[in-house]
Amino acid sequence: MKLPNIYTLIIVMTASSFSCITFAADIPLYPTGPSQDSAFVRFINGTDTNLSIVAGETKAKISLNANEPASKYYPVASKVKITGEFSDGKVSSPVSLHVKPSEFSTVVALANGSNLKQVIIKEQPDDFNALKSSLALYNLSSAGCASAGLLVVDRAVSLFEKVQIGTLQRRLINPVSISVQLTCNAKPIGKALDLGLLQAGQRYSIFAVPATDSPRIFFATDTIAR
Amino acid sequence: MSASTLLGLTFLVIGESHMSLPGYLMDPLHDDLTKQGAMVYSVGACGASAGDWLKKGPVPCGAERAGNGKSVFKGRDATTTPIKELIAADKPDVVVVIIGDTMASYGKPFPQAWAWENVTNLSKQIASTKTACVWVGPPWGNDGGKYGKTENRVQYMSNFLANNVSPCTYIDSLKFSKPKQWATLDGQHFSPAGYQAWSNAITQSIVNLPDIKQAKK
Repeated sequence: MKLPNIYTLIIVMTASSFSCITFAADIPLYPTGPSQDSAFVRFINGTDTNLSIVAGETKAKISLNANEPASKYYPVASKVKITGEFSDGKVSSPVSLHVKPSEFSTVVALANGSNLKQVIIKEQPDDFNALKSSLALYNLSSAGCASAGLLVVDRAVSLFEKVQIGTLQRRLINPVSISVQLTCNAKPIGKALDLGLLQAGQRYSIFAVPATDSPRIFFATDTIAR
Repeated sequence: MSASTLLGLTFLVIGESHMSLPGYLMDPLHDDLTKQGAMVYSVGACGASAGDWLKKGPVPCGAERAGNGKSVFKGRDATTTPIKELIAADKPDVVVVIIGDTMASYGKPFPQAWAWENVTNLSKQIASTKTACVWVGPPWGNDGGKYGKTENRVQYMSNFLANNVSPCTYIDSLKFSKPKQWATLDGQHFSPAGYQAWSNAITQSIVNLPDIKQAKK
């Protein structure tokens, strides 16, 4: 009685294995993602005058004026040194940085007396969400605003608190119309800024930069250049 | 569910390897949606991430099927087709996207920025045509295998897609079975019984979408 059962078992196992091999052999191996994550860099004019940024290798030029002080985010190879030069037509400042995979790097040009200087702030966001708006506050102001914050006008709501100089904070908020007010060391500074109707899934940045009397803020949509 | 629930609706189903080989999801899903009354166009491309559907590009295998015709399976001559071209040609009321495993980067750090850009670019392109969209996330598999799929990563990928496919409606395939419930050939691709079970669950979810009838253009 045992012999037929063994034969039956062998036949079933062979048929089953053949079936699996037939299917498995049909599947070409393919990668389930890139060898490394994307990386991006953008350039910001934090001065009161018009600037341009010229790419070191391609000599491509981007104007950064008062109406559009922020460039788009440009995809970059993470193992390549990014070089370029900020210029206002009179003085210039060389740019050089590496951007790691997953990084969104922001290079900000600021006035330094009659010269230019730069601050580089790197972010590795993990808050991607198509149902919310993502808003960041970059504190690039001078010592007079060592601890920056942002209030929602007329709603007594604090979006950000204690953002130290040279750093940023980011958070998700509902896609609504809001106006915001900069605070320095918990005190309101300057005029309110109307952000308009924020879009779900969109990412935004507010930059606090030095100005003649007190820090000022401006607003940019974080757009990827493709 | 009524066999005419999807009557009058045209579906375009695009997807990764699950939709690209004989005995996989392509045929059962195409058949199940058709049985519900839909006109169905299906296109599969092995290893194609969301961003690959924005341009024409080579893939190691693929498949196509239109209406009541038979599936046509391709080898290395297969390519992706830009989603706007597919939508213009097939004029679907609903696009069903079956992409998850091929973007999950099994065995590697999860590429947040790349995945975000890929997923949002495809969902926005579909939305720009004013076509309804359903995104079906990855199902459970078996840990390991030649793709290195793991339960932790597939859960992470599913959560990521749930947060980022809007305005597409997300269908969470992890709710359709328990981990390891559907037998796999290689940790990721199912036996025919698994694909039939997955197809049944996807079709049921689509039929149950509250606004699916309003998808008609």
